[in-house]
Amino acid sequence: MPYLGSEDVVKELKKALCNPHIQADRLRYRNVIQRVIRHMTQGLDVSGVFMEMVKASATVDIVQKKLVYLYMCTYAPLKPDLALLAINTLCKDCSDPNPMVRGLALRSMCSLRMPGVQEYIQQPILNGLRDKASYVRRVAVLGCAKMHNLHGDSEVDGALVNELYSLLRDQDPIVVVNCLRSLEEILKQEGGVVINKPIAHHLLNRMSKLDQWGQAEVLNFLLRYQPRSEEELFDILNLLDSFLKSSSPGVVMGATKLFLVLAKKFPHVQTDVLVRVKGPLLAACSSESRELCFAALCHVRQILHSLPGHFSSHYKKFFCSYSEPHYIKLQKVEVLCELVNDENVQQVLEELRGYCTDVSADFSQAAIFAIGGIARTYTDQCVQILTELLGLRQEHITTVVVQTFRDLVWLCPQCTEAVCQALPGCEENIQDSEGKQALIWLLGVHGERIPNAPYVLEDFVENVKSETFPAVKMELLTALLRLFLSRPAECQDMLGRLLYYCIEEEKDMAVRDRGLFYYRLLLVGIDEVKRVLCSPKSDPSLGLLEDPAERPVNSWASDFNTLVPVYGRARWATISKCQGAKHHGPELPNTASFATSGSLIPEENKETIQELPDSGALMLVPNLQLTAEYFEKTWLSLKVAHQQVLPWQGAVHADTLQMALQVVNIQTIAMSRAGARPWKAYLSAQDDSGCLFLTELLLEPENSEIQISVKQNEARTETLNSFISVLETVIRTIGDIKS
Amino acid sequence: MIGGLFIYNHKGEVLISRVYRDDIGSQISDSALFSSSRPFLEERRNAVDAFRVNVIHARQQVRSPVTNIARTSFFHVKRSNIWLAAVTKQNVNAAMVFEFLYKMCDVMAAYFGKISEENIKNNFVLIYELLDEILDFGYPQNSETGALKTFITQQGIKSQTKEEQSQITSQVTGQIGWRREGIKYRRNELFLDVLESVNLLMSPQGQVLSAHVSGRVVMKSYLSGMPECKFGMNDKIVIEKQGKGTADETSKSGKQSIAIDDCTFHQCVRLSKFDSERSISFIPPDGEFELMRYRTTKDIILPFRVIPLVREVGRTKLEVKVVIKSNFKPSLLAQKIEVRIPTPLNTSGVQVICMKGKAKYKASENAIVWKIKRMAGMKESQISAEIELLPTNDKKKWARPPISMNFEVPFAPSGLKVRYLKVFEPKLNYSDHDVIKWVRYIGRSGIYETRC
Repeated sequence: MPYLGSEDVVKELKKALCNPHIQADRLRYRNVIQRVIRHMTQGLDVSGVFMEMVKASATVDIVQKKLVYLYMCTYAPLKPDLALLAINTLCKDCSDPNPMVRGLALRSMCSLRMPGVQEYIQQPILNGLRDKASYVRRVAVLGCAKMHNLHGDSEVDGALVNELYSLLRDQDPIVVVNCLRSLEEILKQEGGVVINKPIAHHLLNRMSKLDQWGQAEVLNFLLRYQPRSEEELFDILNLLDSFLKSSSPGVVMGATKLFLVLAKKFPHVQTDVLVRVKGPLLAACSSESRELCFAALCHVRQILHSLPGHFSSHYKKFFCSYSEPHYIKLQKVEVLCELVNDENVQQVLEELRGYCTDVSADFSQAAIFAIGGIARTYTDQCVQILTELLGLRQEHITTVVVQTFRDLVWLCPQCTEAVCQALPGCEENIQDSEGKQALIWLLGVHGERIPNAPYVLEDFVENVKSETFPAVKMELLTALLRLFLSRPAECQDMLGRLLYYCIEEEKDMAVRDRGLFYYRLLLVGIDEVKRVLCSPKSDPSLGLLEDPAERPVNSWASDFNTLVPVYGRARWATISKCQGAKHHGPELPNTASFATSGSLIPEENKETIQELPDSGALMLVPNLQLTAEYFEKTWLSLKVAHQQVLPWQGAVHADTLQMALQVVNIQTIAMSRAGARPWKAYLSAQDDSGCLFLTELLLEPENSEIQISVKQNEARTETLNSFISVLETVIRTIGDIKS
Repeated sequence: MIGGLFIYNHKGEVLISRVYRDDIGSQISDSALFSSSRPFLEERRNAVDAFRVNVIHARQQVRSPVTNIARTSFFHVKRSNIWLAAVTKQNVNAAMVFEFLYKMCDVMAAYFGKISEENIKNNFVLIYELLDEILDFGYPQNSETGALKTFITQQGIKSQTKEEQSQITSQVTGQIGWRREGIKYRRNELFLDVLESVNLLMSPQGQVLSAHVSGRVVMKSYLSGMPECKFGMNDKIVIEKQGKGTADETSKSGKQSIAIDDCTFHQCVRLSKFDSERSISFIPPDGEFELMRYRTTKDIILPFRVIPLVREVGRTKLEVKVVIKSNFKPSLLAQKIEVRIPTPLNTSGVQVICMKGKAKYKASENAIVWKIKRMAGMKESQISAEIELLPTNDKKKWARPPISMNFEVPFAPSGLKVRYLKVFEPKLNYSDHDVIKWVRYIGRSGIYETRC
């Protein structure tokens, strides 16, 4: 390991660097310096030889200089006092007759990240801005940004900013682009570089002279410019037209984004642009550069969300090839799932069916889920394919098919009959928790149509002792009780056994509670059981909330060609949110205090939580009755008042959460099924003054984070804060119990 | 903007690490940086390690070339055994970052050939030099190999002459960023390579599921001065425009012209001229560069047709017969032909009979590899194999991966033909006739698969 024994290495290097014989021999001297850099690269701390390296910088050998400067830039923060010694040499180099040496010295000097260096670099930078060699000017312009970064939040130097603005007219294209980048960083507090009409037009005229990086960057800056008139807008679009066909996919996407954003009021122009970039995008999707292909596919998906038919005639381009990497195949399957229409559905399904038997279990499951997605529109064909897949008797296939069936029965009740006929026999091939839950749920809800449903459940009851997943046991309890209602004679005996086991022997609290609950419910009488279990299902129209049918182009135009389509919107929201939260950490005062108190509350004393609301000014009304329709209407009409992210491990025990929320008078309006990804829940609460709090919980298991968005019908910050702290306490408590 | 660049070998050891901005791998504020500098270096190491642990050493397949670890995005590209990773905290353009990484690979390859661990270790000084010039403060700067050559001094000892110094100045201020002034050659020469890769996905019944050719025209020019070049090919649109004259000509040339789906050009090509009159004119960079890149999907000449026949005899035996037919002029020779026939995982033994070339069963790759050195056009060859299987109780059906093929043919499968390449240099006195020109067509297989 390079991390060990660093002292010996440093000692040896030091000795070598001091050796006058080595110093005299240029090649050997350089070799030793190379060794220092090599150790640095491997992560070894060689800051011990800083002094010797500074000495080595006084040389005419440019390679040696470069190496030493690289070393100094890395370790200057560790040895600021010694680094000051090097400044002298660097300053001298800044007036070297060779522009390359000048540029190198200036760049290195600006990259020394240490306090007090500003006063030394200011003058060389100013000289550099007026240097006759554009190479030095490029370096100097970025040097301004580096200097500003070193200062941190110090005030902006007006003269320097003006100088940079005037350099936007420089002859050299890279200087121009660097000026924009530099101004952007210096003026970050004020909203970045200002693109007014003269600057915009100047940039537009210079576009063709820039290299691809410059073009991409300038296109990005031009997003800020608002053309005054329609005429000007179309002039700009005409001027930029050729960039939609650029050789660089990055530039093409940049240009597309600019077009979409500028033409936000002209939907036909947007559609036209998307038609025109079809070619370049498809080319990128079938290019040999796989990573680029991946990025392009992500954007294709984004476009498909708004224009489902956009790529339909090109569906064959998205067929997977055997040797493609995993990530491209997964993306392509998603794309295929979205561009299905009446003409190609047959071919697409045929193709997807082929993927279902792929060697990679991951890929085959993705293909099955995709078929499930298509089944929402083309139910019969898909259900038939899925049924055939059950015949393969493969564990990893069967479990996913059953899960798909479960979702499908929910969304398209007309296929229930076909699903029920397919189910018998597949219990032998399911081993994992998700699949078992899905199967048990199906048997419970539609048991009256499946002749052998009680016997399958009986098997599960027999083996309940060896069952490892609590979620499966919970599902089993509910399903069996449901089935008991419709087929009492066959189920009574085993329901008794199961309840006995759950109450007397089960270790998992949640399962035991559920058992007890059902037991007591049964004691009250069968009518009561029916009332509770067969209460009307949550409204399927709530699905609207999860998946808005049509997303206009304008809703994502500003996210095009960023990381958002690559990560997905929800995930990006959590990523950027956390970044924001970390920066403004202290502004959320109650987070920390509640977090500690929350984790101390054990589940048994839930009453203590109930007292929490009293301590604040907030009183939530118990037994708030809110219909799903009313909730949905209100939710859509309000803006998010607060959003935050909390850690969360593992899956959700919906019932535990629901109960806990009930305790603090927060009602659950709707929830996703257990195991759905992403998992969502909608909550509501009202305080004594009539202020309504609507909440969405969004859980993405991969990130182990739960995102909370709260909307409020009256904007009152104090009550909002207390409501959030209550909610946070509950969620943290539940989260801690499970982990 | 890119916060840092790392190069790893397959074990996850860092070969090159260059950090451009402080923000990656840590959220250190300036105060933290100055008060205790240890965490600063440690955080940087964390970013390096995080990628190794989460991506290089990950058990599952790579799920995405963009990975987010601790709110830092890692963009990676793999070349043979080497991982190149660009790291950033900003919301950047994914396509741009990947393009930059490719460019980086191209530049490195131009300097020291293949990107391998060995080469990177031997050239690490050069790579640091390159990284210094290509990126500054995380922003891409000049990345043209030709132009970079003036800045990179591998034998740095030699101090530069006055002439060279002025060259740097003129080169970076001049209008044409990709070509130096004052280039002279005794012999003006140019080489054009039309390199195509033909991709095919065919169903077992011989139906083309998808096929496309992605091609590149690579030019190597050794021309003096600032030559103005004009390139012409049998592009359908151009031919149709010109061929309006006589009906006879159109019918004749109509067959020979090709429809290009989309094409892109090197920076040096004047796009305005291409858009208006579809002519390709440019001042080329010195040395090798890629003039254009294009893609066609219509009327592709598929050089080979693969006809598979797989028959399962009982549970322990498979009979495979594969016929390949070459479909081009008999006078041409295809080379380096390799057919890869996948076999099930539980194969115990294979007997192969082939009329031509050599065939071998490679147990480690689960495939029969059949190699033929040369094959003329309009010929046919066949291989038959008997595969013995071990009886297993694994009920999983064998997924039957497709039969893939590799080859090289001396023509362009898209049908592209170079019609002319004219050179004009008004200032120096050499004319188009004095330039020696070479044209070569190479068609290679991309992903050329037939399902069985």
